[in-house]
Amino acid sequence: MELEATLGELRRRGEGALMPHVYFGDPSPSFSLRLLRTLAGSGADLLELGIPFSDPIADGPTFIASCERALSAGVTPRDCLKALAGLREEGLRLPVLLTAYYNLIFSRGLAEFCEEARRAGAQGLIVPDLPVEEAGELLREARRRGLHLILQVTPTTSERRLGRIVGEASGFLYVIGVEGVTGAREELEPSTLELIGRVRRLTSLPLLVGFGISRPEHVASLLRAGADGCVVGSAIARIYSERLEEPESTLPRISDFVRSLKGATRRKT
Amino acid sequence: MALKGRFGRFGGRYVSEVLVQALEELEEAFERLYPSPEFQRELGILLRDYAGRPTPLYHARGLSELTGCRVYLKREDLVTGGSHKLNNTLGQALLAKRMGKTRLITETAAGQHGLATAMAGNVVGLEVEVFMGIKDMERQASNVKRMQLLGAKVTPVTTGSGVLKDAVSDTLREWARSSRTTHYLMGSTVGPHPFPEIVATLQSVIGRELREQILEREGRLPDAIVACGSGGSNALGAFRPFLEDRRVRLYFVEGGGESLEADNSAAAFQLGRPGVLHGALMQLLQDEHGQVKPSKTRAAGLNYPGRGPEISYLCEVGRVKPVYAFDREVFEAVRITCRKEGLLPALETAHALAFLLNHPEEFDRGEVVVVNFSGRGDKDLETIMRHLYGA
Repeated sequence: MELEATLGELRRRGEGALMPHVYFGDPSPSFSLRLLRTLAGSGADLLELGIPFSDPIADGPTFIASCERALSAGVTPRDCLKALAGLREEGLRLPVLLTAYYNLIFSRGLAEFCEEARRAGAQGLIVPDLPVEEAGELLREARRRGLHLILQVTPTTSERRLGRIVGEASGFLYVIGVEGVTGAREELEPSTLELIGRVRRLTSLPLLVGFGISRPEHVASLLRAGADGCVVGSAIARIYSERLEEPESTLPRISDFVRSLKGATRRKT
Repeated sequence: MALKGRFGRFGGRYVSEVLVQALEELEEAFERLYPSPEFQRELGILLRDYAGRPTPLYHARGLSELTGCRVYLKREDLVTGGSHKLNNTLGQALLAKRMGKTRLITETAAGQHGLATAMAGNVVGLEVEVFMGIKDMERQASNVKRMQLLGAKVTPVTTGSGVLKDAVSDTLREWARSSRTTHYLMGSTVGPHPFPEIVATLQSVIGRELREQILEREGRLPDAIVACGSGGSNALGAFRPFLEDRRVRLYFVEGGGESLEADNSAAAFQLGRPGVLHGALMQLLQDEHGQVKPSKTRAAGLNYPGRGPEISYLCEVGRVKPVYAFDREVFEAVRITCRKEGLLPALETAHALAFLLNHPEEFDRGEVVVVNFSGRGDKDLETIMRHLYGA
């Protein structure tokens, strides 16, 4: 299903969107495939599929370790796209956002990368190290192929830049509620809720909040503050990282965890 | 159209959204404060009385005899702390202080930049935390002790290969958490705009002095300037005031490592291609998929897979010639410089000397050649002794 249709449908139902984020290939491609199927079957509304990168500067310790394990397993960007194409063939219908640090896209060629991402079945791209000022060319190449380039806003984003970002954004806005890097945190920061309010006043685009979210209570209070959904990443990786010798054994726990987060998205009102 | 923060196609600001505001503030503060007479006066006094500038230009008779050239050494090893790094850290520390920051963070490889940051932090009264790859902490133990003695917190970096590029990544992550109160004191002409411009501007004091000194000594500009580098700060510092003088040949010597093969070298101009790392588009060692490759050289300070955007550009357009020296040539250059000049160069600096000594085809007899003697080698003493004498 297309991204806008999915988010529109959720909004009509008064339900929040849940987007789990995984780095593909950690600790192996076969586990990642099982994990993605589990997430899709446990209530995920969208999936964020990360392509592992050697120098993930926007990520915290959990995802740095994920990238390192995936790269030592020999995973390439091409493997990630192939895996996505495979999941589509199996019948995966959820919108998928591909996350790639900019050099992976630059190295392949912007047009080629977008073309391949679209063909593999992605609906959009998330590029953690590409602020709107540098995004012009990729925005053009992505749009030309019907891909959304998801832009980010943070508590440090100025009003002037917020206006520009909202003007260029499509699909949804990725609201990074904290100052820092990815990683599960115990408490939500007040800055997160403030930021949702600030952005909400400027745009009707869906707002998905990420970084630091690890509990159903977090999800519920973000939605109450006006968000349309949440991204949960490190909190999932943390569960299977505890059993790397047998990560499959944690899938039931991950499934329960994702169901509990999804449950919280249904209590919006 | 020339874009701000771009050197040709290189440069830019490829960072997480959370850092853009801090970079815009830094750019604004630098453009406003740096040219002001007050700032210039304060920096000038520190460079003179604390750092020990101007540094001498030394006519190296031993090396001249060996090469047949008139070899001069620009003695950045005499800057307090033992390298050119303090030129940059004093300027940025003053800037951070004026911006109201309370803390400096940075990364270091050979330890020279970390040490220079600890010094500058103490001079202006800012707390200092230095991120250093775990492997570099072992290799450069004496500089770690010096930083700690000065009161800096040295934080080991264990991600990736535990070397410079990983330390830069971790410092950027820490900056994302703390940019409102903390200045990232970038150590080289790398990173997102405005860092490459700020560092090159602050290091240009090397070239300005050099120009005056060589005119006084030789009555003309040099035929060639040779400098080592990875990010490019000492080289750009020496080169910048000569960029318009097309007759002055500029050589940039990178770490050749053991051999010019994929995993044994740091020679990004020989083995890399343009790519984006740590906020900038630059010449970069990477694999076919765009994963950054760890560089390899015995000189920790040259062990970075990227070449800064300005040096990438100058090499691309042919104004600077990118060359390299192998580890074995570097150790030999250390030995020769010790014996002929009584000077112990840093392993990084010895790359520039090694290139001069091993490439007579590049230099005609009697030419005036300036080597930027970027740092002293005390920090490398054990590595050098082990290599040369097996002890």
